[in-house]
Amino acid sequence: MKKIYIVGLATLSLAACKPNLEPASPSKGDADFTTYVSVGNSLTAGYADGTLYRSGQQSSYPSMLAAQFKLVGGGEFKQPLLPGEAGYPGLKRVLGYSTGCDGVTALGPVLYSGTLDTTGSSANIAAGGPYNNVGVPGIRCIDYTTAGYALFNPYAARFFTSPFEKAVTQATKINATFFSMWLGANDVLGYATSGGNGAVSGTGQSDISPLATFTSVYNSVVDSMTARGAKGVLINIPDVTSIPYFTTIPAKGLVLRQGQADSLSAAYAPLGITFTAGANYFIIQDAAAPGGMRKIHDGEYIILTTPSDSLKCAGWGSRKPIPKNYVLSADEVTNVKDATAAFNNVIAAAGAAHNLPVVDMNAYLKTISSGTIFNGVTFNATFVSGGAFSLDGVHLTPRGYALAANYILLTINNKYHSTIPMVDVNKYSGVRFP
Amino acid sequence: MKKLCISAIACFLYSSGAFGAGFQLNLQGLRQLAMANTGTAWAWDASSIFYNPGAVSRLEGMQVYGAVNFVMPSVKYVQTPTGGYSAETKAQTFTPFNLYFGGTLKKHNKIGVGIGVYTPFGSGTKWDDNWQGRYINRNISLQSFFVQPTVSYKINELVSVGAGFIYAFGNVKIEQALPVQFATGADSKGTLEGNANGVGFNLGVHVKATEKIQLGLTYRSQVKMKVDDGNATFVVPSSLTANFPNTNFSTKLNLPDVITFGVGYKVNTKLIILADLEYTGWKVYDSLVFDYKTNTSSLADTRTPRLYQSVMAIRLGANYQIMKSLSVSAGAAYDPTPVRDGYVSPELPDANRYVGTVGASFSPMKKITIMAALEFVTSDKRDATFLPANFSGKYQSTAFTGGVGFAYHF
Repeated sequence: MKKIYIVGLATLSLAACKPNLEPASPSKGDADFTTYVSVGNSLTAGYADGTLYRSGQQSSYPSMLAAQFKLVGGGEFKQPLLPGEAGYPGLKRVLGYSTGCDGVTALGPVLYSGTLDTTGSSANIAAGGPYNNVGVPGIRCIDYTTAGYALFNPYAARFFTSPFEKAVTQATKINATFFSMWLGANDVLGYATSGGNGAVSGTGQSDISPLATFTSVYNSVVDSMTARGAKGVLINIPDVTSIPYFTTIPAKGLVLRQGQADSLSAAYAPLGITFTAGANYFIIQDAAAPGGMRKIHDGEYIILTTPSDSLKCAGWGSRKPIPKNYVLSADEVTNVKDATAAFNNVIAAAGAAHNLPVVDMNAYLKTISSGTIFNGVTFNATFVSGGAFSLDGVHLTPRGYALAANYILLTINNKYHSTIPMVDVNKYSGVRFP
Repeated sequence: MKKLCISAIACFLYSSGAFGAGFQLNLQGLRQLAMANTGTAWAWDASSIFYNPGAVSRLEGMQVYGAVNFVMPSVKYVQTPTGGYSAETKAQTFTPFNLYFGGTLKKHNKIGVGIGVYTPFGSGTKWDDNWQGRYINRNISLQSFFVQPTVSYKINELVSVGAGFIYAFGNVKIEQALPVQFATGADSKGTLEGNANGVGFNLGVHVKATEKIQLGLTYRSQVKMKVDDGNATFVVPSSLTANFPNTNFSTKLNLPDVITFGVGYKVNTKLIILADLEYTGWKVYDSLVFDYKTNTSSLADTRTPRLYQSVMAIRLGANYQIMKSLSVSAGAAYDPTPVRDGYVSPELPDANRYVGTVGASFSPMKKITIMAALEFVTSDKRDATFLPANFSGKYQSTAFTGGVGFAYHF
């Protein structure tokens, strides 16, 4: 009897030794997360490393949000998943070694050379839908109500019921109780990534979308999404000029020895351009400058896709100007910033009109670009090593998407008085090294 | 152009909390442990070599004393602000021990001598390999051993003094994941391992004010533990081995000084009550520097602020003599944390601690005493952020300790 008592006491005391700290149970607050639909473009689809592939889609911020929503009553979240990892339609980029024209082998993004597991990627999978994640890489806001858009977009063609279906129809197929909408980045990105060669107000792929069209389409999509009483969250568009796509190649990246500087100075003497030993500004094409070329200025950008062999061996930026479709000049940067601000005003107004919170992703991505630290991991906009941006310099890594998801959750929790737990950012990958 | 980027990877090594407050072990004697670690004012046995060198000359004859403790710490973490993720440290048992040999060479001799070996700092924390805070800490373990030769002199019946020289040695091992991933998605890993040593001293005054009241005052000095040729090893993707070379590191870890004032009151022939006030000078621990022999763009020397504050612990204990051969003890203590908000790291998250103890000592024959003690420590639930890594959460830690020992009186 006595023995049993002692054993019992010992067990009791050992059990009491454990910390009894428990998290509060999450609550959905004033919103209903039962059926969640995510509207957007490549960022929403989980696009990364220059293409779309299965594990990228599985690490999309909407799928992370959906997993957290499940903790407060959220249901199934269907994505139009690709069958493989290689990338569709193009191959993804991975880190690897390549030898440049100068014979130097260096680590950098190279095309994936693993198993081609892309069979069936182009098959239409609308029968498996409707899908909760209707993010379509490449889609602009102004495309969202265009019938027949899927004829020109392979991603839309995969899961739209008919090529003549409007994106907004696809997005409202599911009767969402909650939606997120991150639309509009491509309405300015196409202009920026093509070096600002398009029109400031046009409907071509490298134009900045006309503000009036953007405004009316954006508002009509929000109207459609909220027509049946859904609550949701709007996400504004980032100022792309702080992303690695524009910041990786430095303006003052032309490094010269004395002899090279002297001969270039001699060659450019008629234009009054001089060079010194050390770092110099690259020479770029500019129709308005004497001789059609000048030195690039700080605050102007050379895009990431500028052929590096041409820079290294073909005299681009030194003997020859870098062609203008690879350069975002000061005027073009202003156009990008103005358009971004104007579109974000439209988004903010739509949020106010519909009582929807707006995630200031523009501001948040700026904090990531300028350097931030979270759970022991540092993030910045440095290409490859910065951790948040994938190998295309535009889209995020899974870890970067997780940061974005948490920022969206903060806004949702704040607005709807919910206490949805944050995503475990460190569960996801950053850039992987060979 | 693109190779530029690779050189810029900077992985900050957070390994810094070693020798933090949670690593202080108050387990240098079993009777004392059983009374919440009071004992500065009372000359129980040879463990006074640690608790008050001044009391060693109060002992009657020489004693040999040995004890071992089994410490089972446990920490739970819940992510903040909204929970959803929690983690608990893996179960581990640490076995700090102490050995003492000392006392007076003859009964009623004025001079006492002794030597003690004890473990005032040591413990460890082991988290799951893939836990959320792995880039700050995955596994840390620390051992320290103090060797203290001691002399004590009884000036008169009222006052005795004592001093001990401390040679300290130990080792530390820290493992953390690095946020650089292999092509498979696996994390890189950094391990820091080193031996440390240092010197210090332990001074004590013991006053037998009356038959009923005894007082004690001790000062244990700072011990500057130096790690000179520690090994830093890295497991990283082959493309980054040049960034993370295996190298040596050096660092200094200052163990704080401790001033203790104790009072003992013999209520009657059976009951003794003790109280200690213990001031620990954690303030010396304001930053921690790791100096790597080989520095690269990714592996820079680190200087982490710790900004500890000095604290005062309060301890109370009682001993009741049931019969001549058997006594029982109990105690309680409050141990405030030296770690400020913003510097609570998962290596050994610190918070104010509450201590409860019980124990017994039994003398089956005249010369032999067998002792046992149990201690339970629990902390506040502390909502905290480790600013250098922007890592937030709520922590609670507990520790369960059982100790057994014996003393032989020559």
